[in-house]
Amino acid sequence: MMKRKCGIVRFPGTNCDRDVFQAVEMVGAEPVWLWHADQFIAKEYDSIFLPGGFSYGDYLRSGALASRAPVMKSVREAAERGIPVLGICNGFQILTEAQLLPGSLIRNNHLRFNDDWVGLKFQNTNRFFAGALRKGTNAKLPVAHGDGRYFVEDDELKRLQDKGQIWLTYEQNPNGSINDIAGVMNEKGNVAALMPHPERAMTEWMGGVDGFKFFEGDLT
Amino acid sequence: MKIGVKVMPRKEILDTQGRAVEGILKQHGQKLEHCTVGKYIILDIPETDPKAALAAAKSMAETVLYNPLIETFELEQI
Amino acid sequence: MSNGAAAEFEAKLKKYRINRAEHEMITTLLGHEPQGIEWALFSALWSEHCSYKSSKVHLKKLFNKSRRVLESFGENAGVVDLGQGERIAFKIESHNHPSFIEPYQGAATGVGGILRDIFTMGARPIALADYLCFGEQSAPRMKSIVDGVVRGIGGYGNCVGVPTITGQTEFHSSYNNNVLVNAMAVGLFGKGERVFLSKARGKGNWVVYVGAKTGRDGVHGASMASESFDEDSAAKRPNVQIGDPFFEKLLIESCLEVMAQDLVVAIQDMGAAGLTSSSFEMASKGGVGLKMNLDDVPLRDPTMSPEEILLSESQERMLLICEPSKFEQLQAVFHRWGLDAVKIGEVLDERVVELRWRNETICKIDPDLLVENCPQYQRPYSPWKAKNRVAGSSDVKTGVKNANEFLSSVLKDVRGTSRKWIYHQYDSRVGAKTVRDCADSVGIVRLPESGRGLGVILGCRPYVMRWDAREGGIDAVAYPALELAAKGFEPLAVTDCLNFGNPERENIMSEFVASLEGMSATCENLDAPIISGNVSFYNETMGQNITSTPSTGLIGLRDTVSEIPVSEFSSDGEAIYLLRLPMVATGGATQELNKLPVTGFGQLEPSLIGAFTRLVRVLADYREGGTLLSSTRIVGKFGLAYALARMSMRGTGCRIDVDKLKAARGEVSTDDLFREHMYEIVVTAKKGREQDLEAEFRQIRGALASADLLPIGRTGGQKVEIAGVLDYALTDIQNSYKTGIWA
Repeated sequence: MMKRKCGIVRFPGTNCDRDVFQAVEMVGAEPVWLWHADQFIAKEYDSIFLPGGFSYGDYLRSGALASRAPVMKSVREAAERGIPVLGICNGFQILTEAQLLPGSLIRNNHLRFNDDWVGLKFQNTNRFFAGALRKGTNAKLPVAHGDGRYFVEDDELKRLQDKGQIWLTYEQNPNGSINDIAGVMNEKGNVAALMPHPERAMTEWMGGVDGFKFFEGDLT
Repeated sequence: MKIGVKVMPRKEILDTQGRAVEGILKQHGQKLEHCTVGKYIILDIPETDPKAALAAAKSMAETVLYNPLIETFELEQI
Repeated sequence: MSNGAAAEFEAKLKKYRINRAEHEMITTLLGHEPQGIEWALFSALWSEHCSYKSSKVHLKKLFNKSRRVLESFGENAGVVDLGQGERIAFKIESHNHPSFIEPYQGAATGVGGILRDIFTMGARPIALADYLCFGEQSAPRMKSIVDGVVRGIGGYGNCVGVPTITGQTEFHSSYNNNVLVNAMAVGLFGKGERVFLSKARGKGNWVVYVGAKTGRDGVHGASMASESFDEDSAAKRPNVQIGDPFFEKLLIESCLEVMAQDLVVAIQDMGAAGLTSSSFEMASKGGVGLKMNLDDVPLRDPTMSPEEILLSESQERMLLICEPSKFEQLQAVFHRWGLDAVKIGEVLDERVVELRWRNETICKIDPDLLVENCPQYQRPYSPWKAKNRVAGSSDVKTGVKNANEFLSSVLKDVRGTSRKWIYHQYDSRVGAKTVRDCADSVGIVRLPESGRGLGVILGCRPYVMRWDAREGGIDAVAYPALELAAKGFEPLAVTDCLNFGNPERENIMSEFVASLEGMSATCENLDAPIISGNVSFYNETMGQNITSTPSTGLIGLRDTVSEIPVSEFSSDGEAIYLLRLPMVATGGATQELNKLPVTGFGQLEPSLIGAFTRLVRVLADYREGGTLLSSTRIVGKFGLAYALARMSMRGTGCRIDVDKLKAARGEVSTDDLFREHMYEIVVTAKKGREQDLEAEFRQIRGALASADLLPIGRTGGQKVEIAGVLDYALTDIQNSYKTGIWA
């Protein structure tokens, strides 16, 4: 069987790129670098990852400068074609800034960077990513962010709830996110993102294994 | 009375944020010489005399709003 | 000399911080009076900070070699061969003065600087550690300094994407006006890739400037770091250096790329004294000359003078040597990462550095005069004598009246409480290699190729230094080495950051020499050489000197990351032992908390420490059938009671058998529970492995007759209980420890 081809987008300042690369390899898929200044042919990829880090130093607003980079044209095309796109941490911020996902990620309510392990609950099943972890499942993953507080207007929040777009919530809210939201997806589910770092929980020695399933692809 | 406090990086000091924003604007083909990023703070001060309000704002700026080692500030009545 | 000329001359000496004797030496070396830019060059390179003129005669005596050492002092960082094709670079460095002036930027640029020392050699940074000493909470500005330093470290390390995996934070009044910020970085070389050095080579090769433009940041910073603080320091401070971790990240990626493509002959970062020290050192080490055109240096402000250009400490800049035919390819890599690379000069055969400015030669000088010929001072000191001793261990009075109450107060005190309020602000897992982080006693990363564990730990306990400098120096290596050993890691090498007061004071210099001798002897007995670091003298503010604080960073190796003993009790009914090598009893931290002078009994013996460390490591190592030890913790500050409380933090308590404890230690009293016996380790045996553990201990103890492994109790229950002396509920321990106060 052909290996799944996973594109990993690198912006200046992305720093979890190599970790996601390693995670993709660990699940037996084929990682391919995608450079911020170049466009790519969307249909050649089985999924696209936007890793965490500090693209453009988080200057101006987290994710703002990266969301305007040339590569995002191709990411948008991939999203429209239904190719699975996953944003992790800064990748989540970029996807909201690019308006491929609703809402924004703003400064943590305690105004500090926060590194910790958090308990999560799947509010809905996403068949493209971690499809094996169904609605109602719990998971434990690391978080590490300063701008992780998810915010949407009330009417938008209601729409997200109605359409089942809220993917993950925190068991104990670490940053003041509205309704404890840790991850969301678009209506089709092919564009999804979360603040926690699944690539940092791939094996026992990392302290947890719940991240593994996020890279395994569509298992349905 | 509302007083605006404009806090900018000191000229001699490297403005890291401005440098990054300038880079991406240029990458988009925008024409600019230089970009500097600062902050703008609005203080609503319970004073009716502009002089007193500005003096109060100055004291606030000097207490916490700006860091004299790396920033400068300007006040304006708004 | 006329009066006017004499006054002008005096002013010059003062401005450039050169004394009369040094001025005479310079005149002799040059064959003429220093002129123009020469003043500034000598000022920078002959400063204490760059030249180590007060410490060199002592540093030369340090134990600094082992079969594993590839590079030692003299390069940007030490390099150690771990075998199996894996090599690492590591170093610790101070950024004390800048952090006191502007805490956020000072700490941030400290992290940036130490990272550059690592990737300059071709190693990818994989871990950071921070050794911090702050003043009392009530000291002026201290809360904002602490906050700024912690945010600065996080702001830089998190953004640049290097995990902070361990640290140490101390509080004492001697740091009220002079905090210590020491940052350590560890980097890993790619398999088969070269170690890059700073020796310039090859006539006609180009000198290339890479990275940020030069601004007026920190001009004269190096000579400022070589002077005590006084009240005017604030007024004459240079422009604060601003760190940009985003820019540094680009620099890391692009530098590693040009090195992997073999486009670089030599490379050096522009740190203290900026372009001056990097260029002169590269020329001197390579035994060549350089011709540089200062007009070609990229400037942030075009009105800068040559002196300012040469001394600027703008961050995130590198100087490298490249063959002309490879320049285009090199420049293309930097451009791809959004950085500039420009030619500013050439390598000469003749050993001379020639600086050009506006079509004129402003300086032509042998680099060795500046780099190699600085005077080395034998500052007066007196030989070590044991200090603050009492007649027997029971004479060490801790001042503790009620064990429960004291334990409760110490768990809440800033000196004994959880450091989570600090380390939760640091990304501990970026890089996806972290096995253990700041929540544990040793930071551990997994080496991706071999799967082995690399342990990273910091040392130096200032209260031991305040008791006795020699013992403090020994302990600065021994304690972290034992922490590594207790997790099954073999200590391999050491980096040190020698933070001291004014070396022109005899008592300070005496402590410097005594602690260095202690450190070196311990390193030798561990076969773990000191291979990198820096000296920070003049940590003196308005006549007050800091506690002499030789901080250390150790690295250790373990064959696997499987079954590393944890640091807390984790299951009921396990046997608890004291694994000990008693040499010293001190009241240390407890006495200071109770505002008593620190006293102690006994003396540390480096040769015994070496043997004990090896024994502990074998017991804690992985083996077929599983590690014998389930948990380990060194009994350190505040003694046994505090160690047991910390081990119970995860919800499994312990019951200590008073008779057995008495048999082990000879005394069970409130006093003794809070004394520190150097050295003791609390260990638990994995269930069913008690016999194996005891047998193995007897077998490998060998000639180390004074070492013991003594059962003292069992894990279990919801309390820490030592009948008649201490009875403390776990919920209280957890609450006190977690809610302990800083802010």
